[in-house]
Amino acid sequence: MSNYLRLLFIVFSVTYGIAQEKNEVEKRVKKDDIPNLAKEWLEEAFKQDRKTKWYYQTDGEKYVYEAKLKKNKHLHSVEFDMEGKVKNVEIKIKENEIKQEAYQTIFNYFKSNYTRYSLKKIQIQYTGESDDLENLIVENEMKNLVINYEIEYYGKTDKDNTLWEGLFDAEGRLIEKRVINLKLTDNLDY
Amino acid sequence: MRICISILGLLFFTFSYAQENRTTFGLFPEASLSYKLLKNYSITHKFESQHGFYDSENLNEELEYEHTLTDLQTFIGRRITPFIKVDIGYQYRIERGENTHRTIQQVSILQRESHFRIGHRMRIDQTFFNNASLLFRARYRLKGQIPLQGESLDNGENYLSVSNELIYMIQSGEDDLENRLTAALGFYIDDKNKFEIGLDYRTDDYLVKDRFRHRIWLKFGYYKTL
Repeated sequence: MSNYLRLLFIVFSVTYGIAQEKNEVEKRVKKDDIPNLAKEWLEEAFKQDRKTKWYYQTDGEKYVYEAKLKKNKHLHSVEFDMEGKVKNVEIKIKENEIKQEAYQTIFNYFKSNYTRYSLKKIQIQYTGESDDLENLIVENEMKNLVINYEIEYYGKTDKDNTLWEGLFDAEGRLIEKRVINLKLTDNLDY
Repeated sequence: MRICISILGLLFFTFSYAQENRTTFGLFPEASLSYKLLKNYSITHKFESQHGFYDSENLNEELEYEHTLTDLQTFIGRRITPFIKVDIGYQYRIERGENTHRTIQQVSILQRESHFRIGHRMRIDQTFFNNASLLFRARYRLKGQIPLQGESLDNGENYLSVSNELIYMIQSGEDDLENRLTAALGFYIDDKNKFEIGLDYRTDDYLVKDRFRHRIWLKFGYYKTL
């Protein structure tokens, strides 16, 4: 028996050492660790004290804090820079909540590029200055804000079978897309 | 953390209850190695082995070691979509008495939620014996993987893994049911290296009179992908 354990321990220690180099990280953080500027903006915009989960995220180049909370039954993700200045607000929406001016163009894109597709997650993304983003939350005012849609979708073509994240502008035109690599499922399948 | 404690508590409660029935306890190491073959095809080799230390029926109360069985499996899988995978597999079982061959077919479906993910596995298998008729089994397993730090799993983080599998089996016109409940702590070293340690609680002979059996395994598994 001890030989099994020894072998497992060796494999485990070696791979653990290598794994430290990767730097894409998302971590839950305590409210106390968040800059006051961010907490004040959130309280000001969302008024009453809502249940908020705070996260720290980095891809190695960009470092941000993210607050996740619900308002009007919609999940809001608010991104702040490390100084606590608000950068953007993402709201999770349903397919029928895509604005009229973008809807047709987005779906035309799917229909003409894929033999089969299904939308997995849709977020409307508002980017702008602190005051303008506050007006969005308080008064649903969208002045001076850049609107994009971040859509996670599965698209099948004759050659491909991929999960994508597409960024579409306010008129529904595709700006960019990237492949989403799902985590391996070996421990769920065998 | 509270969920962890509750599940472990439940398992220990079941264990103490199980003392009254036919009960075995042992160690259950397993390891899998997967690699890509072609674009959508992959191969997985899996080794799993059961080592008994306690058996209430055989009055093995001095914790005598006994090699129960060792399985060697190989699967060829094809990914149909990012969420669906089908596999065919073969298993050679080394066991006291008679070594057996088994063929396996399975479909795995991945369900993603914002805070966790669930793997659904539908499997059928056929076991061949020298002097007994074919054993056919149909199984459904649900396995949840819940990150313990943040919403998504990052390298070096831990996760909770909970699964339950229901197995229906039939041989020579006699059928039976088996249930397998597991709870484990997972170490997500990186996507290609995962280690899980926990308890695997199996009950079977539901439909056979006076033979209801409990098996509790301390299970530890390593999942490696090249």
